[in-house]
Amino acid sequence: MTRPRLGLLVVTLACAALASSVAAQEPYPSRPITLVAPFPPGGVADLTARPVAAAMEKVLKQPVGVINKTGAAGAVGMQFVAASKPDGYTLLLALSSISIIPEADKLFGRPPAFTVDQFAPVALVSADPTILVVRAESPWKTAQEFIEDARKRPNQISYSSSGIYGTLHMAMELLSNAAGIKLRHVPYGGAGPALTAILGGHVDALASGPAVVLPQIKAGKLRALAGWGDKRVAALPDVPTFRELGYPAAEFYIWAGVFAPSGTPEPVLQKLREAMRVGVGDPEFKSAMDKLETPITFKQGQEFQKFFEADARRLADGVRKVGRIEQK
Amino acid sequence: MAETFQNLALGFSVALQPPVLLYAFVGCVVGTLVGVLPGVGPLAGISLLLPATFGLTATNAIVMLAGIYYGAMYGGSTTSILMRIPGEAASVMTCIDGYAMARKGRAGAALAIAAIGSFIAGTVSVVALMLLAPPLASFALRFGPPEYFALLLLGLLVLAYMSGGSMVKSLAMAMVGLLLGMVGIDQMSGYFRFAYGVVELGDGLGVVPIAVGLFGIAEVLATAGQEVPPAVLKPKLRELLPSRTEWRESMMPIGRGTVLGFLIGIIPGSAHIISSFVSYAVERRLSRHPEEFGQGAVAGVAGPESANNSATSGAFVPMLALGVPSGPIPAVMLAALMVHGVSPGPLLIKQSPELFWGFIASMYVGNLMLLALNLPMVGLFVNVLRIPYPLLYPAIIMFCVVGVYAVNGSVVDVWIALGMGVLGYLLRKLGFETAPIVLGAILAPMIELALRQSLAMSDGQYAIFVSRPIAGTLLAFGALLVLLNLASWLGRGLDWRRRIPLDEKGENL
Repeated sequence: MTRPRLGLLVVTLACAALASSVAAQEPYPSRPITLVAPFPPGGVADLTARPVAAAMEKVLKQPVGVINKTGAAGAVGMQFVAASKPDGYTLLLALSSISIIPEADKLFGRPPAFTVDQFAPVALVSADPTILVVRAESPWKTAQEFIEDARKRPNQISYSSSGIYGTLHMAMELLSNAAGIKLRHVPYGGAGPALTAILGGHVDALASGPAVVLPQIKAGKLRALAGWGDKRVAALPDVPTFRELGYPAAEFYIWAGVFAPSGTPEPVLQKLREAMRVGVGDPEFKSAMDKLETPITFKQGQEFQKFFEADARRLADGVRKVGRIEQK
Repeated sequence: MAETFQNLALGFSVALQPPVLLYAFVGCVVGTLVGVLPGVGPLAGISLLLPATFGLTATNAIVMLAGIYYGAMYGGSTTSILMRIPGEAASVMTCIDGYAMARKGRAGAALAIAAIGSFIAGTVSVVALMLLAPPLASFALRFGPPEYFALLLLGLLVLAYMSGGSMVKSLAMAMVGLLLGMVGIDQMSGYFRFAYGVVELGDGLGVVPIAVGLFGIAEVLATAGQEVPPAVLKPKLRELLPSRTEWRESMMPIGRGTVLGFLIGIIPGSAHIISSFVSYAVERRLSRHPEEFGQGAVAGVAGPESANNSATSGAFVPMLALGVPSGPIPAVMLAALMVHGVSPGPLLIKQSPELFWGFIASMYVGNLMLLALNLPMVGLFVNVLRIPYPLLYPAIIMFCVVGVYAVNGSVVDVWIALGMGVLGYLLRKLGFETAPIVLGAILAPMIELALRQSLAMSDGQYAIFVSRPIAGTLLAFGALLVLLNLASWLGRGLDWRRRIPLDEKGENL
């Protein structure tokens, strides 16, 4: 390398260094943000992520793009965000499974894909309680009848789920523990196949998010018996909660929330929370969530942290109670 | 009946509106492209384009997404025939005889038969969808894990028909495939099998990287390793069209493929892939010249290609009639409807007749568009074979890598494909067929899940497989097939399967 060129190189490097130090002081956000949905397009995470991204974009004045980084029941995408730079430009739209995966890893004694403390909660977007449904022609008219029958015939009544340790499985396990019953679990590869299974009469019951089963309830194919929420589902005002029926431990929500990698500077987190707070009030966001029949449940800061921790505790407990199936 | 025609008239009044026509066309073009690109299948295509449909109306969105789905089935055969790379999983079977036809200079005929078979199957199956959707949908739901298991066992029997060479070798390869299918999260216990700490392996080895590696990449490696490079094919225009004999030989397989594809397609799950396997096996079983299969039998292209197209219409049956996400692709399409505030469910046909009938009518139009798109393309695609190998092969490898990466955006998948390419190369050198590996790898996880779900349903009682009428019938049918085969095998002693490998030994090296 000749001398003049070396000089050029030094100048270029100096410029680059200067540029990056300027970038560090630039107000956040100064470039496009990526929101990772760890599940495929068309799923709950993806369908929630898109209106969230659109709403944040309006407030932050920077493009917010959704990418689907899928695999291993969400672990691939969550691991990706956990390991990315905590600068507020890579965010995660996570579902309840974010607390389940590390717990399942622990159960199997394998190196965890990620841990919960690798994420800083930004805001909760929705939290739908699951509801217990049975086929319309099944003998159980109420949740009490269902639980009574399950007590009399342990391990005879079957239910489908979206997968082992999945959200729909956990909901049923929490109920089984709370009511002291034993049900027969038939895991399927996703919420769609689980719904198909109960409609086809291959299993007796299913815990499901309300949006998915509402059309089937309205068409008279399925009957809702009770919900896992702390209050009744707005679309099903006649369906009681397990809390009302005396099983307060059966509390479960399929929730969706936005996270940043932990270590993200506090001012950036503040900005993101503010953007979310304004964003959820956006009429377009509201109508998008309405169409998905998913009510908005907004929580941020301490409130979300508390909800997240309580939920993680319940789920960890549930996973441990299920234990390792192959050893039984 | 009169009501159906009235409804269909309503449907066409929707489907022929310029914007709907346009989106159907866009869907068909994108679908063809998605099908042509190795690796990228209809699911990846629909998933990628789903966000783009959020701004459209519900009808436009669903018409476009459906166009991608059945368009991909048309396009999927192209690379299978020309380069032995399955454009998507349901085209794996076409790689065998389609590519053999291309090697014999009948690429044009194979492509034309595939396009026409797809058109006939597509159109006939839409008629079936229109007339039979509501009654068939409830029947489809009766297919639970035990029934699925019985069907998949029949699929496994296909493996025995796969190879023109030694039965022992092809069964050995099938076992390798079944073993590869064991990798990944155990769906019943959550245990990571053979993942070695790689989170991506939790989903198992994908069909796409395995098929692209074993077929596409291995083919390139094997050809590049030949001492005398193969002659570049120069297809002539008059050779593009199928001959009279080829027509005659493909008509019945197209008919059977259509019926079979539709019936298998309505079953919840990824049934459209299996439909092509079963069709291939049926054609081989019924053929008067089973020894031609694997050597470029036109029926081995016509049957499976019709079946996979017809199966797409079948898959819409439970989706439209009951709002049930009966497979990964219908699930994404239902999500598209939900985004537009159309709640998919048993009441969809009543509540949104213009959507349902517009959708049906658009499928008639779409199939016509695809035929018009694909037949003239035959001449163009065939010219790919004129490209000199030093240029063509690097390009194929590049497309393989890009295609495999695009499905999940995963580098791990690319490594799997490359590893499979090397494995496929070695196996070919040793004279093993690789198609049974792909089939085994596709079937293994499905069979395992269905078997274990069935046993979970019955609390471990195997009686569940014979006490349920559909499952029992299917299993009895499978047993009958095996017995018939055994009888003829014992009767003939030295049959053609043993003689053939001697003749072609030289070619495999």
